Amino acid sequence: MGPAVNARVSFSSLTPHNLGTLRKLNTVLFPISYSDRFYEDVLKPEVDEFCKLVYYNDIPVGTICCRIETKGDEFHLYLMTMGVLAVCELRYPFPEYNDSIPTKPYRSRGLGSQSLQQIIEAAKLLNKPKISKIYLHVQISNAEAKKFYEKHGFQEVGIHEKYYKKLVPRDAWIMELTIEQ
Amino acid sequence: MSKRGTTPNRFLPPKESSLFKELLSLYETKQLKKGLKTADQILKKYPEHGETLCMKGLVLVHMGRREEGIELVRKGIRMDLASHIVWHVFGLIQKGEKKYEDALKSYTQALRFDKIGQENMNLLRDVAQLQTQLRLYDGLVETRYMLLRLRPTARQNWIALAVAYHLSGNLAEAKKVLVEYEKTLKNVPHYDVEHSEMLLYHVRVLEELEQHSEALALLDVSAKDRAIVDKTAIMEVRARLLSKLKSDEAEHAWKVLVEHNPECYDYYKGYMSNQGLNIDENPAEALAILREFSTQFPKANVPRRLSLSLASGEEFQALAEPYVLSALKKGIPSLFVDVKSLYTDPAKLKSFEDIAESIRKDTSPDTSVASSSVSTEPTTYLWSLYFLAQHYSYLSQYAKALELLDLALAHTPTLPELYTCRARTLKRAGDFHGASRAMEDARLLDGQDRFLNTKSAKYRMRAGLIDEASALLGLFTKKDASSPGADLEEMQSLFYLLEEGDAHRRAGRLNLALKKYAAVQRVFDDYEDDQYDFHGYSLRKFTVNIYLNVLDWEDHLRSHPSYIKAALAASRIYVDIFDDPKLASGNVDGDATDAEKKAKKKAKKAQKEKEDAAKKAAAAAPTTSTNEDKGLDVPYKDDDPDGMKLLSTPEPLELAWKLLQPLTTLAQNNIEVLIAIYDVAIRRRKYLQAAQALARARALDSEYPDLHVRIVHARHFVSILPEPIPPPVGPIFIETLGKILSEDVSLETYNSQFLQNHPTSAQTILAAAQTSRVLGAPLQEVEDLIFTTLRDEVQLDVKTALEISSFLKKIKSSRVNELHQALDAKFTLSTAFKTPDELAKLREWVLTTNSNSSSERTGNGAAPMENEAELGKEAGESV
Repeated sequence: MGPAVNARVSFSSLTPHNLGTLRKLNTVLFPISYSDRFYEDVLKPEVDEFCKLVYYNDIPVGTICCRIETKGDEFHLYLMTMGVLAVCELRYPFPEYNDSIPTKPYRSRGLGSQSLQQIIEAAKLLNKPKISKIYLHVQISNAEAKKFYEKHGFQEVGIHEKYYKKLVPRDAWIMELTIEQ
Repeated sequence: MSKRGTTPNRFLPPKESSLFKELLSLYETKQLKKGLKTADQILKKYPEHGETLCMKGLVLVHMGRREEGIELVRKGIRMDLASHIVWHVFGLIQKGEKKYEDALKSYTQALRFDKIGQENMNLLRDVAQLQTQLRLYDGLVETRYMLLRLRPTARQNWIALAVAYHLSGNLAEAKKVLVEYEKTLKNVPHYDVEHSEMLLYHVRVLEELEQHSEALALLDVSAKDRAIVDKTAIMEVRARLLSKLKSDEAEHAWKVLVEHNPECYDYYKGYMSNQGLNIDENPAEALAILREFSTQFPKANVPRRLSLSLASGEEFQALAEPYVLSALKKGIPSLFVDVKSLYTDPAKLKSFEDIAESIRKDTSPDTSVASSSVSTEPTTYLWSLYFLAQHYSYLSQYAKALELLDLALAHTPTLPELYTCRARTLKRAGDFHGASRAMEDARLLDGQDRFLNTKSAKYRMRAGLIDEASALLGLFTKKDASSPGADLEEMQSLFYLLEEGDAHRRAGRLNLALKKYAAVQRVFDDYEDDQYDFHGYSLRKFTVNIYLNVLDWEDHLRSHPSYIKAALAASRIYVDIFDDPKLASGNVDGDATDAEKKAKKKAKKAQKEKEDAAKKAAAAAPTTSTNEDKGLDVPYKDDDPDGMKLLSTPEPLELAWKLLQPLTTLAQNNIEVLIAIYDVAIRRRKYLQAAQALARARALDSEYPDLHVRIVHARHFVSILPEPIPPPVGPIFIETLGKILSEDVSLETYNSQFLQNHPTSAQTILAAAQTSRVLGAPLQEVEDLIFTTLRDEVQLDVKTALEISSFLKKIKSSRVNELHQALDAKFTLSTAFKTPDELAKLREWVLTTNSNSSSERTGNGAAPMENEAELGKEAGESV
């Protein structure tokens, strides 16, 4: 299911000024608090194309944040967080308390797909450095998320045991997508 | 005329004479340094040559050595009283000091002595500008006429004379001048903008003379010749003229305008009034027309919105539903502000409530099935919550509004409007601290949004956090300004000046409050001075039509709400100081916190450093003579940074009157202004002014509580005067008062009657208590009366409760704390009546960052990207 007719989906870059919005979204979306370092890194110019606020009808409702890692002479894009308001996040298991929110308002509107596709396209276009693959972690209880990533061409390449220290189950799939050169 | 001032003294030998000519041309080209040297050369031989002394003085003023310069100018005048140059120079200086009347006198003097036969165009032009500034239109006509006679070939001299006639009220002469002028024109090129403006002005004059067919003929011919280039203006004026002529073409002309811009209210109104439709009398027909337009321009908002104003009953409901729904679907944040004006009609108010509630229900995720949720946009639901929250907040149903906002924030926590609405609702409920925090939440979402920044600063000031507000404002002000406030004052930010003034006033720092109100007054003085250059510029550029509008605007300048607010607030303080001079010498810091005192000390130090630096610079100036032109305007010097001079003024009433006087004509229908005028006038013993203000206020609203207090005050005031007011004023005053309140009625009876008429109005009870106090009732009796406002049946809001509290403080009641405790219990949401200790804690709480920003949580363990495995740990901790 895609967004309703006339719905406007757009992305905007992160700036020091709209970090407050990112913080707000992260607080609601993820059962984790991010350090100041996280918020400094997402502002770096090299990840400008990979860290975005997602707008639905001009209201910020989601975020996607990546970082670039060096592995030998290769560059990998690591998808740190991705979430759309009250939509089950795909990176971390979505906590129970969100059920108390009256709805999952922005679910099933293709926002996750569009955001991910946006990142994949940007990774393909990047020349310096050349990105060879995109990877991420999914908790093994979250089959739905796994399916979502597979739909977008990601493949499971292994299991990171005891990736989570306190969440159960503790293991995570490692999923990756090779970028064709 | 003194002997020294006669012509022989002015004589210079050829060498010096040519030097003097050189001096004049050096001044014209603003080569100040050379000019100064040349002047000194002459003065070496002729140290008493008046004209040279004046020119030297003038040059010095331009160079920033004002005092020295002015002294020379004065000396120069004494040396040569019959020289037109010295008077011209003096006029320039006075103009720079904004002393327009004095400057005009000097110029008139200069013209008398201009031996070349009043041919000094510069002098005359300056005189004309001064006369316009002073609105001396008869003199202006003479001056403009002289200028035209001297140089009839200059186009602007014709226009200027026509405008002068126009301003003096003589439209017929204005028309004559324009006609004569047009006769002199030859070969005007097409598309000449200046000529076009002049023709439009000519049409305007004809229209104002009600010579409509002549106006239309001129317009049509000029439009056809492509002499008038402003196409929109042609269409608008044409439609108006055709309507006035009752022509059949008029309907079409208005229709063309609507097609030209379907979002302009005036065109629809023009169309309808041309059809003879009075919107109030024939709404049905008007609605039919608007419906047609709506079909023709489905995207236009104006016909739909205008229909809402006209329709009623079921028809209104039918129109309002799609209007609201489409706005909520589009996510138009201003919907509530847009329709709020219709709330004066209770039926419409209820309609909006019903419509929005039903949209909320229809789009609510609780009712809509999961599969259909895609067809209804989540944002429609969100905006309906926002609309309803504003609606209930407006209706003072604060708890309901806040609940809706909580729901909306759980749904989408990233929409700033939800936080600003929450802030406004809390503010209305009297929770100034919670309001400030909510507004800061909004600001944190988008630090680049100056609107949110300004709002958050304003809400901090409302919570008494002035320095903290300043810190926020500083994010957007010039970095090299001495303080954010100084920059905002320079930028003429009226909102800032008023809010900070009010914040100081509430905290009892009357000196600083007066300081800010005085700054508002200065801004308006500047606005008034700013028009000066346009008296020349606009005529030179032929932008006559808009210029006439500007003059009219300037004439009503001080009817601006910000001016009125500042004038009222300041005059009330001055009246209080007059009544209780101890206020001026008392604790000027009010209830300043330590931090505030510290900041003040710091500000004082900074100010002193600045002054020292300025002094140093001034001391250094004479040695570094530059060509830099500092102009003739007196730079603003703040010799009263703390407002202590304002506070300790020996004549507070005179200062108050100066503020109120422009309002006697500009705000005649503002009852608060009239009451302030009474308060000042009666204390200045201007009995007629006082009586007039009372009579006028009574005509506006005879039951107005504050007016009641004054009526009794006036009668009481007269009765305790040791001697009656002498005629002719006295009898008139008594007579006017008698008309307002018959002398047979005892004031005590009158007061208790007033109270009985509105027994459940807190405003009335307060007024009755104030009146009792005026009549000398014992403190306890007044207090007892005041405490009746706490009864359940009395309608009391936070605003009135605050007024009641300050009245108790003013009469030095010992029961203020008791009142505050009761009020605090009554207004559960409000923080306005907390104890000082509680308030101090609240102020701290406002400034703590919310959980939504990181500070509470950062730093607890490694960053997620440092070590992925740590993520789970962190997550486990914070869940």
